[in-house]
Amino acid sequence: MRRVDGQFLVLAAINVILLALGAAISDGSFLSIFNLQSMAGQVPEIGLLAIGVMLAMCAGDGGIDLSGIALANLSGVLSAVIVAHFVSNVEQEGLYTALFIFGALAIGFLGGLINGTLITRFGITPILCTLGTQMAFTGLSVIVSGGKAVVVGSPEPLSSIGNEFWFGAPISFILFIVVAALIGGALKFSPFGRWLMLSGSNPKAALYAGFPRSAVVTATYALSGTLSGLSGVIIAARNVNVKWDYGASYLLIAILIAVMAGVRPEGGYGRIVCVVFSAVALQLMSSLLNFGGLSNFVRDFAWGALLLTFLAIARYDLVGFVFPERRR
Amino acid sequence: MKRSIRTVMTALMAATAIAATAGFATAEDKPVIATVVKIAGIPWFDRLETGVKAFQAANPDVVATQYGPATSDSAQQLQIVQDLVAKGVNALAVVPMDPAVLEGTLKRAMERGTIVVTHEADNQVNTMADVEAFDNSFYGAALNERLASCMGKKGKWTTFVGSLGSRTHMQWVGAGEENAKKYPDMELVDPNNESFDDANGTYDKAKELLRKHPDLAGFQTSAGNDVLGVGRAIEEAGLAGKVCLVGTGLPNPSAPYLDSGAITAIGYWDPQKAGMAMNAVAKLLLEKKELKTGMDLGVEGYNSVTVTKGAGNGVLVIGNGMMLDDKESYKAHLF
Repeated sequence: MRRVDGQFLVLAAINVILLALGAAISDGSFLSIFNLQSMAGQVPEIGLLAIGVMLAMCAGDGGIDLSGIALANLSGVLSAVIVAHFVSNVEQEGLYTALFIFGALAIGFLGGLINGTLITRFGITPILCTLGTQMAFTGLSVIVSGGKAVVVGSPEPLSSIGNEFWFGAPISFILFIVVAALIGGALKFSPFGRWLMLSGSNPKAALYAGFPRSAVVTATYALSGTLSGLSGVIIAARNVNVKWDYGASYLLIAILIAVMAGVRPEGGYGRIVCVVFSAVALQLMSSLLNFGGLSNFVRDFAWGALLLTFLAIARYDLVGFVFPERRR
Repeated sequence: MKRSIRTVMTALMAATAIAATAGFATAEDKPVIATVVKIAGIPWFDRLETGVKAFQAANPDVVATQYGPATSDSAQQLQIVQDLVAKGVNALAVVPMDPAVLEGTLKRAMERGTIVVTHEADNQVNTMADVEAFDNSFYGAALNERLASCMGKKGKWTTFVGSLGSRTHMQWVGAGEENAKKYPDMELVDPNNESFDDANGTYDKAKELLRKHPDLAGFQTSAGNDVLGVGRAIEEAGLAGKVCLVGTGLPNPSAPYLDSGAITAIGYWDPQKAGMAMNAVAKLLLEKKELKTGMDLGVEGYNSVTVTKGAGNGVLVIGNGMMLDDKESYKAHLF
């Protein structure tokens, strides 16, 4: 009954091919446990931001979240500055971790709520609204940190989230998969997910059908903001320090991941599992190029080529072209 | 079954474009020293790469290559360092974009047995050796001494820094102020103007300063583009040769102003030599040799280095690689 998702198959196949190619050019060291762990540890911070972008896109009406990485940095910086006032990261490690994570998530949630409110209450176009809040968030992080890196240090268990493993997988990666699964489940089975997708594909019909559209859109941006906060926690856990200008290139990469995953920019469609596969594919490719010793400009070129390929697949139904039997 | 084969075929088509660019690197048995710079493709680090290549040519028993992110983002540099550690390179020679961001990863790299050498990061805690071209206070004092001799040891002078948060720049002008105290007739006015390494902004600010102090006799600048902005302001005011300007800059871009006399002298260090010195230190550490004061790294300007304690457990290796060029001498070092 259910149509096989071509995008999903292509993404999965690309991941397999990239792994095989990596093994071939590195005599197998690409598939060493250390490298797999290292790559898995790099995915979550950008993957979470990409899920945020996907949710905003699904909400329709030109939905997008440009404030992701700025909010992630703000969450890390502000939370670290505030918590350091009350608790020492050396003496009360557990309490510091708990407060830091709570603070970062709360700041992320609030930032997202501001985005959502501006968009629904004041009718500002999402791309302009989040561009504005992006600058405001970045500016605020510069002010509270004085432009310098803020030390989070390595308090346990925060440092474990960034550097330790459960069953051989980085804890941050497991966290990312669990969060992705929860959101994926919510999109598929909860009324929130239905409302989001349906109102994204046809906002007017949703309005007449009596969907709580404003509430749904606000909640979506708030969720996206909370994911940014979580991304900020993971950045802090991995890097010991947080800084306002970290990951300036992540903004476009997060959008690239979402588009590659087949999220429809007009709204109404997107699959979490595809976003996860797409984020992993980009990671594999960039690590592969570093293993091959190639210039990072080649990587930008390769990402561009990959994006165009996916747009072509979506536009011309290449999967259907190769599998004529699946055409309906 | 047939379907899944076809799926793989489609994906192959999609991936070929990217895969083809990845190329095939062969496995090496020789120790690998990977140099990671702040940004790839800008003149400063292209010049550094010539040093890495020269080191490779002189040392065929190691593999020396340079990597760098395509965008100026510390997160991108972090990813490259992580991938290289995972790849299992024997030594890393890093010019950190932001030392704070790399701390965690460099620590893990050292725990894994990778040799870590840094440059332009004397506050990096997790490094075995940080290579600096010169002692920062010595450099600042030398710039100021050149300025003082041009000014005839008297008159008003001012300073520019990239930003007030820029550690090395503040060290340079600080040492300059200290040096100027030797000459009671030199008067420092409106010090520490922020240039943000932007030649146009610096030009405007320098014009304002020249209007405010018509008798201003000297500038000491810090960021790479400052001499260009201040030099243009001096030249347009018809003051070339009358107002002195000494600052950090590279010979090629500064050449016209040096010729016209708008720039008195430029100070710099050669990134090529710094790249060679970093690799030389990495090779010494790979060979488990100790770094000692007075050691010769076999690189010009690093023939007798000073080794002191660094910010962490590592050492600070300071060379004597300062270059100070004026109208007469710059043509020998065009880059």
